[in-house]
Formats: sequence, C-alpha cells, structure tokens
Amino acid sequence: MKNYLFLSIATLLLAVSGCKPKNTGDAIDGDAASKVYVAPGKYDELYNFVSGGFSGQVSVYGIPSGRLLRVIPVFSVDPEKGWGYSEETKPMLNTSHGEIPWDDQHHLDLSQTNGETDGRWLFANANNTPRVARIDLKTFRTSEIIEIPNSAGNHSSPFITENTEYVVAGTRFSVPMDNDNGDVPISTYKQNFKGTISFISVAPKDGDMKIAFQLLLPGMNFDLSHSGKGPSSGWFFFSTYNSEQAHTLLEVNASKRDKDYILAVNWRKAEEYIKQGKGKKQVVKYAHNKYNESTHSATSIMENEVTVLDVKDFSDIVYMIPCPKSPHGVDVDPSGEYIVGSGKLAALIPVFSFAKIQKAIADKSFDGKYGGIPVLKYESALYGEVKKPGLGPLHTEFDGKGNAYTTFFISSEIVKWNIKDLKILDRHPTYYSPGHLSIPGGDTRKPYGKYLIAYNKITKDRYLPTGPELAQAAQLFDISGDKMKLLSDYPSIGEPHYAQAIPAEKLVKNSVKIFKLEDNKHPYVTMGEKNSKVVREGNKIHVYLTAMRSHFSPDNIEGVKMGDEVYFHVTNLEQDWDVPHGFAIKGAKNSELLVMPGETSTLKWIPEKVGIYPIYCTDFCSALHQEMQGYVRVSAKGSNVPISFSLGKNSDAPDSLLNK
Amino acid sequence: MQDGIPSQNLNITTRVITFICGLLLLMVLFVPLWQIELSAPQYPEGLVMKMYPHKLAGNVDIINGLNHYIGMKTLHTEDFLEFTVLPYIIGFFAVFSLVIALILKKKKWLYTLFGMFVSFGVVAMVDFWRWEYNYGHNLNPNAAIIVPGMSYQPPLIGYKKLLNFGAYSIPDIGGWIFIGVGLLLLVALIVELKRKPDYEKIK
Amino acid sequence: MKKLTIICSLALVLAACGGSNQDNASTSGASSTEAVPVNDSKPAYDPNRGEGKFHDVKLAAKLDGKMALNGEKIADLKCTSCHKLTDEKLVGPGWKGVTTRHKPEWIMNFITNTDAMIDKDPKAQAMLELCMVRMPNQNLSDQDARSLVEFMRKNDGLK
Repeated sequence: MKNYLFLSIATLLLAVSGCKPKNTGDAIDGDAASKVYVAPGKYDELYNFVSGGFSGQVSVYGIPSGRLLRVIPVFSVDPEKGWGYSEETKPMLNTSHGEIPWDDQHHLDLSQTNGETDGRWLFANANNTPRVARIDLKTFRTSEIIEIPNSAGNHSSPFITENTEYVVAGTRFSVPMDNDNGDVPISTYKQNFKGTISFISVAPKDGDMKIAFQLLLPGMNFDLSHSGKGPSSGWFFFSTYNSEQAHTLLEVNASKRDKDYILAVNWRKAEEYIKQGKGKKQVVKYAHNKYNESTHSATSIMENEVTVLDVKDFSDIVYMIPCPKSPHGVDVDPSGEYIVGSGKLAALIPVFSFAKIQKAIADKSFDGKYGGIPVLKYESALYGEVKKPGLGPLHTEFDGKGNAYTTFFISSEIVKWNIKDLKILDRHPTYYSPGHLSIPGGDTRKPYGKYLIAYNKITKDRYLPTGPELAQAAQLFDISGDKMKLLSDYPSIGEPHYAQAIPAEKLVKNSVKIFKLEDNKHPYVTMGEKNSKVVREGNKIHVYLTAMRSHFSPDNIEGVKMGDEVYFHVTNLEQDWDVPHGFAIKGAKNSELLVMPGETSTLKWIPEKVGIYPIYCTDFCSALHQEMQGYVRVSAKGSNVPISFSLGKNSDAPDSLLNK
Repeated sequence: MQDGIPSQNLNITTRVITFICGLLLLMVLFVPLWQIELSAPQYPEGLVMKMYPHKLAGNVDIINGLNHYIGMKTLHTEDFLEFTVLPYIIGFFAVFSLVIALILKKKKWLYTLFGMFVSFGVVAMVDFWRWEYNYGHNLNPNAAIIVPGMSYQPPLIGYKKLLNFGAYSIPDIGGWIFIGVGLLLLVALIVELKRKPDYEKIK
Repeated sequence: MKKLTIICSLALVLAACGGSNQDNASTSGASSTEAVPVNDSKPAYDPNRGEGKFHDVKLAAKLDGKMALNGEKIADLKCTSCHKLTDEKLVGPGWKGVTTRHKPEWIMNFITNTDAMIDKDPKAQAMLELCMVRMPNQNLSDQDARSLVEFMRKNDGLK
C-alpha cells in the first residue's frame, strides 16, 4: 500500500517537471528584417535622439535601421571632437562650480510649434550639476547651456511647453536654497530643505534661454514632468515622490505612503503674477554659456539673480493630485485631456482627466493641504484606472490613435492599452527591463505612430559578451498594427533614458554642410594661407595656422621657448562638405582639434621639454593625408632662436648624404 | 538460523538492497537535496537556490537582493537549525542501514528503518512547507512593493507564478536519491513480507 | 617630387594643346572627342565648356580692375593654398596661362561644379591623375567665380 503512495509521488513529480513553462523566446516575424533594412546609400526615415545618461552626451540614430549617425557632445568632454578641450569650447562646460568635465544626461525634448515638433532645437538636461542645454539641429552642436540655481539633481527637465515658450527644470533633491545658509543638520530636512521648479523662457527667434522664474515648493523629490497641450496648454504636470520627506534610506522611508502627488502647475497664472511684479528677486550665481557660430567660440557669463514665486503665497498656481505609490512618469495624451501617472510601485495605472481636475478646482473638492498647497480629492481628478497592467510601470507614450504604451520595469514588458476604455490590448516582453520608451512625437499632439523604441536597462545575453561591462539596448517595435511586433535590437551609448524622434525631412533640408569662410569672425581666424603667421606676445605665441588638403601653413615653426604658451589657431580653409582637418601635437595634454570647413579652433599647448615636436592632421583628408604634417622647434628659455615660420622652403642639404 | 526462528532474519537480497541504501544515503550527504528555480524576463539564464543537507547554495545572494523589494526576510544557512541536524539524521539512516545489512540482519530492524524513514520524509516536507509559508507571508510592512493580498510562498513541489518570477520547486539529486532509497526499502520490505511462506516451510 | 612637377607641367602643356589623353603617346592632333570614351552615350558633352551652369561667358576686351581685385581676395582666401600664380605646380597646377588654356565658361564651371567635372571632364581627370588630390569645391558664388576669372586674366597679363 505504501508503495502506491511512493509511486504516486514519483508520478506526480514527473508530471510536475513536465509543466514548467518553457521560455517563450523572442519570436520575430519573417518580414522584420525587411522593415529595418535601409539599403546602402539610402537615408533612414527618422532621426532618433537618445540621451546618453552617464555618458553625458546625446547620440543620434537612424530609424528604422538603428544605425548610429553621430554622438553630440553636450555635458561631457569629448577628446574625439575637442569638445571641452579647445579654447573655444571650454567655456561651454563652465558652471558656478568651475569647469566640469562630465554630467549625467537624462532627458531630451524637441522644440515644438503648436504642439508639434518643428526641428529647430533639441533640449537636454544635466542631472548632476543642474543645467539645461540647447542643441541646434542645423549643426547638431550644443549652442547654449544654462545652469539652474536652487536645484540639485535636475531630473524633471527639459520638458517644454507646446510652443517652446518654456523649458522646465524641477529639482530631484530638495536642498536649502542657494542664498540660505546650507550648513545645517541633514535632519532638519523638514524645516530647511526646499524644492524648486524653474521655468526657462526660450526666445522664439534664436532660442536664447533665460530663467524667467522659479516656483518655491515644499521639500520633496520632483521626478518627471510633461506639459499640457490643447485644452491643458497652460498647465504643466510634475510627478513627485518622497512626500514622506525622508532624508535617509529612501527606498524604504520614501515608499511608505499609499499615495504621493502629481503637481499640476498653472504656469500661465504664474506668468501673470511675475508680470505683476509679485516675484521676489533672489541673489544666486549660475553660469550661462553660449556658443557663437560666427566667432566659432563660446562665452560664459555668471548670472546673479532669479525671480522666485513662493507658491504658498498664491492660492491658484499649483495643486496636488494624489497618485499611487511614488509616481515616476507623468505623461499627457495627444488630446491634452488625459494625464497618466505611473506609480512605479503601484499595481494599477491611474489616468486623470484635465476637465475633472478643472472642475475639482472650481468646486474646491479638496482633501486638505500639503505644504500649503491644496490637495485635490483622488476621485475628483481621476478618469479611471488601468487594472492589473503589469509590474513596475514607468513611462507612457501615445500613438495618436487612441492608444497608450507603458513600460514595465519589473515585469519587463510594454503594455498597450486604450486611453478611453482603459482596457489592455496587447503586451510584449522586452529584453530586459525597460526604462523609457519613445514613439516619434509620442509626447506631442501629433505622434508618428509607426514605431516604438524601448530603452532597456539590462542587456545580458542579447549581444556577444564584452566582459562585465555591457552596452545597454534599444529595441525597435512596429506598432502600426493591432499587435506590437519586435523588429530589432541595437546597443546604445551610455545609459539611454528619454529619447525623441522626428521624421528626417524636418531636419535634412536645414542641415548645415560647411561654415562660410567669409562669415568667420573668429578673432584669430586666418583668412587665406597668405595671412598665416606666428606672433609672439610676451610669453604667449599665437600661431595663425591654416589647413588645406594636404598641408598646414606654416608647417615649420621655430622660436618657441620653454615657458611659452602656444596657441594654435587652426582655420580650415576648405569649403567643401565633409572635409574636416584634425590637428595634433606631440605631448599635448588636452586633445586633438577637429576643425570643420570654414571653422577656426584653438589648441593651447605648453611645451615641457626642449626639442622637436611633430604636428599632423588626424583626419584622413585626402590621398596625401599622411603628408599633412610639420614640425615645431622648442628651444631653451632665454635662447636666441627668433620666431620664424615657413611652408615649402626645403633645405638644400645635399642629396648625397642619403647616398653614402 | 541460530535459535530456531530463521524467518526473523533478512535474506541476502534484502540485505544487499539495504546495504546499497546505506551507501546511497552516504552519497546524499554531499549533493543538493532540493532546488527552487526562479525565472523572470530579465533573468533569462534563470536563478536557482539549492538546498544541501548542510547549507543553502546557488544564487542565494541575488535572490535575497530581489526579495528585499517585497520585504521578504533574507535567507541564511545559519538561520536554519535543519542544516545542522540534517547531516546527522541522514548519516544516522546511512549507518543504520549498513548496520542492519551487515550486523543486525533482522526483519524487525528493516521494518523499523522503513517506518522511521517514511516518517522522516513526511516531517521533512511539512517542515519545508512551514518555512516556505513563513518566508512567503511574514513580509516587512515597509517593503517598497506591496501588492494587496499578495504573498510569495513558493510551491512545495511544482510551478507557481510569483509576480514577475516563475518559481519551480523540485527535488535535486539528493532528493531523488532519497526517494529512490525509499522505493528500494519498500521493495526490500515487500520481498520480506512475501517471504512469510518460508517461515511456514521451515516450520 | 621634382619628377612629379615635371610631369604636371608636361600635362599642362598637353592640356594647353587642346585636350590631353590618358595615353601620353598619342599625338597632339588627337581630337578631344576621341579622348573621351566615357561619354559615348552623351556626345553632347562639350569638353571646351565643361558641365555646369555657365554657357557663353562674354569677356570684355579690357580688364575690369575692380572685379579682378575682388577675385584676388577670394583667391587669397580659398585658392592660393594650392595654386601658385606662376606656372609652377603646388598642390594643383599654377595659374599662369590658365585663361589661354581654358575657356572662361570651362573655368567657371570647373570651380563651381567641381565634383561633377572631375568625374567627367577629360582634362580635369588627366590633371587629377597627376596631382593626386581632387580639387575641393570651395563654395563659390557665381559672382565669385566670375571675379576669379577676371583675376586670372589679370594674372595672365591683361590690362
């Protein structure tokens, strides 16, 4: 009888081992390859701008091919392009803390007109030392960087309003304000730590940024944001967490409350108060750096004032909307009516209605206050909840066809759901654990709902292993049909967070090919080889150097002495597309220069030893590129070798020496 | 054969079986008894926890790291008295089997061994379930992720989905050997029971 | 290097004779159409005019001094890193005599439509073989191109 028991257990065990689900794998449709294939010489359909995370840069990919087109240096030095090393670009990385070689670049937003991407600029945030950058999409170069005072961890940034009136910057860390005494015990968080949200105005013509005003808010963490659009146009929404006001072990202490808040900001109202002069001026210090395209040089100035509105003093600028469990993404649908909060620890996704929010405000349907700010009743603002969507919802984008797509970090999937009836329509695994996702124009009024790109934090076995350090991954989906189809994987630079994409035709026509020599207003430009020269000014030596296929002028320089500072001002005289020249000198402690046609760039060099130093072109410019070289002679301090320079004057040393 | 009740002695077949069982149980001391496999989308290679007679092994640290999100207590070999006594119990069964096969050679000892062995198996499974229950239910109320009504007790045997993880609990080599030993002892028992007519014959 | 200079100069001489040929042995009497096998399908290609937007450029008998001065400025900025004003080759051929070797429309087409001409024009191709560097397009306006021709004429002695 016992034997039957044992036998049945054994049978059970065998049966059990049979019912373990097999890995579903990643079934790819047969036609996926043709959908991502862009034939040699053909252009991609879209530009995809991808944040670099801890690389500090922005990378540009072609979609659907996933081909890397360019890495735009923004917040980190880039020796490849001389960014942050050339004298002209050094000021771009200046801050109130001095020159900073690195930052953590999280989010991007393309400039918009009437809620649609217009292809003029791309904005990027720096998370660590709070800054916002503007990248010019004619040149794909960073043209302006502004530092954010009263902030620490510029995370909910650089999201923009529908007509690029403002770029916002919300502080992740609450901190004592810059002009308060910051030397306080950390345990006085509740008394001394404050949050701010900055509204940076963008000049419609040239994109010039200026901190228009800051909102002073209770101490908590501001996470992400998105602008209203259409009916909600004058509003901005920010997700917050740590409403517990914890200052230690946040993973536990800031996850206690069932609900944190989404902050709804009526920025038009705030703008009015500022116009009425109700803001308070505060003394602060922050850098404002601009790159001038005609002088090919950046300048950094230190600003010293911001205007602050303490929201406690105004009853109608901001409202708190309760949102379950530490919301991360806050995303507004193309109609501007629905606001999706993704509580990263929540088991549902709440969708708020802008009309209901307005009504709740009008009816004063409040549930007390938080830090002096009215808190709306959850139900009064809620449109509905997406039930059991997945685990760890983070971000939502829209396809313009009434559907929303949300990434789920923990359950590693993308879930498609209908905005109106909140029903789940499809789910697809990603490989693995997506953070942000991007649908081209997916945060605008007019999404280009053909593709979706998921940015995954974990790559593991997706590519050939490269030791412990792996590239993170982007995954391209076709979302034109009812079901999402995975098309391809491609590795990314740094850690991609948010990304933006735009149809190629919006940019291609404006792309600059060369800088016109005639317009070069660099103070050390060399207008033509005839003007190349070497000038000594005390211990500074200015070399007016030209580059043309395939020589520098001058290429023999003497008279440099120990203790001199040598500035090589290299002007590329080429006026043809795709003919950059590089410049490098042995022993240089900064980097090379990479000089575009018609541009002037400067490398500073302080020789440390007497001797002969070769210079050469680092970019293979022509068949005679290897001939593009020269020498600099460095003499001892106090030597009487005069400054001299030449090109093409070869010595008359007897050939016979070689024949001996 | 000595004092007239030869039927009380084990015959050579059952002694060999019992001897083999003793050796097999000695082997069990060195191999994992049980395993819980975990799979999740971001762990395509899978995570596994192996239970040896004297320790926990496998990806215990990674599993502990993950479990802290849901507030599960971390798993440590030291926390289980079982890992201290289990080797002795298994050792006892091994030695006892060998002693029965080589020295005692009596049926009643075989019956005793079988009874103890099965009881131990049942107690062990109950104990295992109890631990699983405690770990799955006694969660830190301050955990980052709290899903109302959700507990995380892994299955005793078989497959169960726990949030994003699939948990698959099955015997490992040692467990299978253990089951095999049980079956072998059962065979020995049946052989001896069927030998009753021998006693009649001799009488 | 000296050898290369000689070859280049030789090529210039040949070019001046009305079309060089890939085969140096051919006589100077070889007609230029025969020398362009590539363009069989397009007999319309006029090697004297080249290809580009300029057709008949009317030149005054007298030099336009102002225009020539403007041309000189452009040359200093964009051209003289590679071209000497003498007949000596630097990177590209020297400019002495260029206005006698080429029609003004050929010159203007070549300096504004450089890539297309290098790919097609037999004289330009022959020059490339000798100089080994493709002449860059220096993004000249029509007026710049015309001014350069005037400067070249001045360089060739026109008053």
